[in-house]
Amino acid sequence: MEKKYWKSLNELQITEQQQADLHAEDGQDRSMVEILADEANNKSSSRRDFLKWCGISFVSATVLSACENPVKKAIPYLNQPETLVPGKASYYASTYLNGNEYCPVLVKSRDGRPIKIEGNTLSGITKGGTSARVQASVLSLYDTGARYKTALKNGEETEWAEVDTNIVEKLKEISDRGGRIALVTPTLLSPSSKALIEEFKSTFAGVEVIAWDAIPYHGLRKAHENLFGNAIIPDYRFDKAELIVGFGCDFLATWLSPVEFAGHYAERRRLSQEKPEMSRHIQFESMLSLTGASADERVPVKPTEELKILLALHDQVAALAGQAGIGAASVDYDVESLARQLMENQGKALVVSGSSQAEVQMLAAAINQMCGAYGTTIETTTPLMIGMAGDNAFDNLLNDMNQGNVDAVMFYHTNPVYHHAATEKVISGIEKTTLSISFASTKDETAKVCQYILPDHHYLESWGDAEFKSGHYSLLQPLIQPLFKTRQFQDTLLAWMGKDSDFHAYLKNRWQNNLMPLQSEFNEAEIFWIKSLQAGVLEIQPNRGQAMNFNPAALSEIAGKINNRIASAAELEFVIYPSLSLADGHDANNPWLQELPDPITSVCWDNFAAVSPATATSLGLAEGDLIRINEKTRVPVLIQPGVAAGCMSIALGYGRTHAGISADERGGNAFLLNTNRLFSGEVSNWEKVGGKHEFARTQTHFSMEGRAIVRESTLDKYQQDPAAGNELHKYHEKHKTTLYPAQEFEGHHWALMVDLNACTGCSTCVIACQSENNIPVIGKDQVRRRRIMHWMRIDRYYTGEAENPGVVFQPLMCQHCDHAPCENVCPVAATTHSQEGINQITYNRCVGTKYCINNCPYKVRRFNWYEFATKEEFNTHTTTDLGRMVLNPDVTVRERGVVEKCSFCVQRIQEAKLTAKNERRLLNDGEVKPACAQACPSNALVFGDLNDPESKVSKLIKDPRNYHLLEELHTLPSVGYLTKIRNPRT
Amino acid sequence: MHTKPIAGRMRTGALLPGLFVLLFIMIGWFHMPLFSQDALALEAEEVIAATDSLTEDIKGKVETEAAPETEQVYTRGNYSKQDLRRGERLFKGLVPFGSGPHDCASCHYPTRTDTLNWNPSAFDLAKLWYDNEDYRIAEKLNSPAGMRMMNDHQGMSITPDEERQLEAYYTEVLKKGPGELQAYPIRAFIFWGLGLLMLLALIDLLITKKIKFRVPHVLILIIGLVVHMQFAVAESRNLGRTQGYAPDQPIKFSHLIHAGENEIDCNYCHTISGISLSAGIPSNNTCLNCHNVIREGTNSGRFEINKIHQAVETGEPIRWIRIHKLPDHSFFSHAQHINAGKLECQECHGPVEEMHLLRQVEDLSMGWCLTCHRDNDVDFLDNPYFQIYKQLHQDIKDGKIDAVKAARIGGEDCMRCHY
Repeated sequence: MEKKYWKSLNELQITEQQQADLHAEDGQDRSMVEILADEANNKSSSRRDFLKWCGISFVSATVLSACENPVKKAIPYLNQPETLVPGKASYYASTYLNGNEYCPVLVKSRDGRPIKIEGNTLSGITKGGTSARVQASVLSLYDTGARYKTALKNGEETEWAEVDTNIVEKLKEISDRGGRIALVTPTLLSPSSKALIEEFKSTFAGVEVIAWDAIPYHGLRKAHENLFGNAIIPDYRFDKAELIVGFGCDFLATWLSPVEFAGHYAERRRLSQEKPEMSRHIQFESMLSLTGASADERVPVKPTEELKILLALHDQVAALAGQAGIGAASVDYDVESLARQLMENQGKALVVSGSSQAEVQMLAAAINQMCGAYGTTIETTTPLMIGMAGDNAFDNLLNDMNQGNVDAVMFYHTNPVYHHAATEKVISGIEKTTLSISFASTKDETAKVCQYILPDHHYLESWGDAEFKSGHYSLLQPLIQPLFKTRQFQDTLLAWMGKDSDFHAYLKNRWQNNLMPLQSEFNEAEIFWIKSLQAGVLEIQPNRGQAMNFNPAALSEIAGKINNRIASAAELEFVIYPSLSLADGHDANNPWLQELPDPITSVCWDNFAAVSPATATSLGLAEGDLIRINEKTRVPVLIQPGVAAGCMSIALGYGRTHAGISADERGGNAFLLNTNRLFSGEVSNWEKVGGKHEFARTQTHFSMEGRAIVRESTLDKYQQDPAAGNELHKYHEKHKTTLYPAQEFEGHHWALMVDLNACTGCSTCVIACQSENNIPVIGKDQVRRRRIMHWMRIDRYYTGEAENPGVVFQPLMCQHCDHAPCENVCPVAATTHSQEGINQITYNRCVGTKYCINNCPYKVRRFNWYEFATKEEFNTHTTTDLGRMVLNPDVTVRERGVVEKCSFCVQRIQEAKLTAKNERRLLNDGEVKPACAQACPSNALVFGDLNDPESKVSKLIKDPRNYHLLEELHTLPSVGYLTKIRNPRT
Repeated sequence: MHTKPIAGRMRTGALLPGLFVLLFIMIGWFHMPLFSQDALALEAEEVIAATDSLTEDIKGKVETEAAPETEQVYTRGNYSKQDLRRGERLFKGLVPFGSGPHDCASCHYPTRTDTLNWNPSAFDLAKLWYDNEDYRIAEKLNSPAGMRMMNDHQGMSITPDEERQLEAYYTEVLKKGPGELQAYPIRAFIFWGLGLLMLLALIDLLITKKIKFRVPHVLILIIGLVVHMQFAVAESRNLGRTQGYAPDQPIKFSHLIHAGENEIDCNYCHTISGISLSAGIPSNNTCLNCHNVIREGTNSGRFEINKIHQAVETGEPIRWIRIHKLPDHSFFSHAQHINAGKLECQECHGPVEEMHLLRQVEDLSMGWCLTCHRDNDVDFLDNPYFQIYKQLHQDIKDGKIDAVKAARIGGEDCMRCHY
């Protein structure tokens, strides 16, 4: 309560200066009157124009009213498939697979077209959680602008049959004369594809497979090989850890298996009267990451300093464990007490490092070993299958290509021209080969320089399988006939091998032969296959893991490398990281992801070099200054509290040059800085390149105005009084008075509870909501004008000092107030209260006065200033017939001039109710889940019926941590928040 | 001295109603198509467009197949004007065939009508002939297949010459298209007649001044305006509503024969009505469940049923004209109303089993929906779902109320249907 929260640096300064005028917070000095006067003078239209338009619209309305009803056709199937019911959604299990990212999903299909992705609850890994990128992937299917539509040869359309004969001939010829054919892939998670590629290699002798990952995890695998003689990436279990220490590791957003980790992490931090305990999380990092924001203690340090602390911590822990240290210098942090706590938490502690360097990972692994993490918080029985690819093979290939020693090169799911720092070298290497092929399904930079583009299907059109963790298999199945004349990569290989069967048959056969014997549930091959497809996942009990023989001697060899790294400390360093929305930039042409505000900075459509306020001052940088870093990457500067002093952090995934209209030339490509493949390094050179950049950000127009919107306390206080930090709630409950009779809800009374302790700010809900509710993309320019459309937003508040603030995320959607201020001001009764407690808006009644927007204290109502859904200047995906296929037919596409907002996903509520009524039974708790709650990987959102005393929400709303936003206004929201509790060291 | 200013005032005073009349005539100009059966008009346009290309095709064929014809070899094309003239007369029964007088046009209408005619129209026949290379008119008529054909074409036998002449006429019919149907002629007559009268009255009132008394002028103008206004109001209220809409369908499918006389359950064909939002237009294979065996209808013979089989052959589904359509922003579930609401199909769709040509009976307006929600009881006691309404159940037990209307439990909420 006593804490002071602020949302932007400006606000902090303003409140500090006790300035009353908050209007200037976005940096504009001009008063509103001046702005309005300017606008009026610049307008070309006048009163006379207005009258003219009145006249014209009267006449055209009369004329239009005389229009005919168009003749509509009703065209049934010629032969209706038995399982397909028009108008009824079906769900099919599949798997999202994109480089290192993996998520078993259920795809909602209406009338034969996939429209929504949901998590697959049968998966033991993600347990029904998803990420923003997974949610948005359905839009990429319909990306008419960026998807390759047919096979291309030197940019000209060509026939597949012709391609096949030509290429097979060439491959044979190269193989026969002992030439080299390189197939570049990422680490393949699909066991069937791996097997197929092996067969392909035996058909064409010259083929060699070179794996290369844009975001490498090979260091982690290498570390385990060096230290334990076992090259695995173990399974980190954040749900079993009492003490988590992170070193530049963004495990809640992008590291290894973020969906799983977010779920586990939140599980351990969820508080209840029965379990008033939670984990403690300490994070050392350079950038302000999502994970750092959730930490109980966050230490912003430069990358080299971070390594220094890790080394010192290792030596301290080693000293306590009676092992030899490596020789650490003293650091500016009390590592001794941390080391002691780690040792005290034997078997309950977990140290994770996000570094891609094997030596650094060895330090973390050694600490984990010494505090007994292996076998408890780190499981070795189900290792991860990602990160198989080191950099050496590809670097060698690059050299060979440039020397002209490689005859043919093929790229599957890899885009080194964009992802590799030495772009020029990759391009010249490709140009020196006699045959270059890209299997990219959407436009990318590598495909652009290849002779052949043989486009692969989108994953929703493909067959396939994946093994993300050892023993955790899942299947991909096509949801739709291929939209374009594309062909699945595996089918292309089969065709080249001269096989008649397709990959579907290959996959089925392989599963029935290789995987069926591993399980005992189904004996019949056909049933096993169908049931596996239906479930989407197949989980096989792991064997006992191989022995992990700790070999501390290996540590003695790394001192040199570690010390070199530490010695490379520079005055100004950079760190580059996969961004939350775009990750490595593969799906950068997805406008939903582009417009998803970064939860920390609330910037969308761009990346930036974030520097702390103090560093900015010392470097003479101001927000929006365009700079070029190391003569490579040009990005604008963003002043971001919490970034380590002397450090710049830049998101990856931006700066694409050949990816499509939504992605091209947005921000700068930070992969160019990654010359050492360590994702951090020295800023040896930076210069202002002139010009100011105006960010499109969604935050600055909000202010907490000194009210207790976020309520926070610590675990100690919570254990003494569960209502700690939430004293105001009791006060307001006591002082409830009203002139109006109390509202009664006889049937259902829907409510949503948000656990601020479980929410990691991952923004999955934002995209899920956008996908479910046909929310339009409005473009960078409109966001700059503060016209955001997301029904659900993640508000972020800072607390504490500007150099290392505490961060709290708060998901905010319509609060569905029982005394809704918006309802009484609508002149046309377009917004009313339903008998189930939903604040409902009727688009057809709305005349766009926006009174409701003005009167909403939560600022959750959105106005359609333009025809956002159909005009190309705002978005590019729902303006074509194909793009519109992604729209949810149950939700109206809103017109210009109407207000919209969260409806609690009323279409889902109605659907569940109708099902229950039709089946003549009660509606069960948990049966209705709005899109946000369904998508949430950490189950921070719980939806249900308050009239059912046994429902989860009814219980949560009685929790002493529960409070409502702006309770003092007596709006009686149906959304409740559970206070944020942190667990700092005392 | 006194007359001038009065006349001046008259003129300016009459200007306003004059403008109104003009405006209404203008509106009427745009408005008229609504009085005709728009579906037919549009469809006809489509077909005409299609026939235009047909004609092109035929012309092309004629040119390519210009080989000299012999008496024995049957070829299409190259019809003379004489052929055409004679073909038309034969078809319309103006001259007798060799085998006797037959009036084809009495059954196969050469123009559109709004009465239901089970027989294929001249256009239908011509199109069938054109689409099918092997189709021989003489063959079909001289040895008819099917009871209906046999009975109706008894004693007919046509010569190769007559066949050729009929073919010439068919090409002409294809060129002309099926023709438009003029519906509501009386309303159009009233509208335009009154408009003309008003114009005349106005002209006489202001310029010619033939009739000294002005009462008739004023009366005509007032009555005309009122009637025109009434038309405008009625039409704009029905905007987007299609009550009474009964367009010609691509197949002369009769609900009366199927659902009425043969008592086939609605759900037999509309299979998904109980499980989906939509009731579903039966797919072609559903038709074939019966029409695989039943190849000939009582009324239409084989002609209409053949269309189902043709669809299978061509792979082109039948493009029915949609009649019942709710606006996109309203959500409606058939399953809900049939299962939970226990409604009979006829309560919304009218006596479908009595209709040869399906017609929209209700106006499907929001008022109509709400009336039903306000007046009808829900299945409150029997459906366990409603047990959540504890107070209402108590009230029923106590005898305070005896049933619960849909509106009482949220049936009037906007977001029941609009989201």
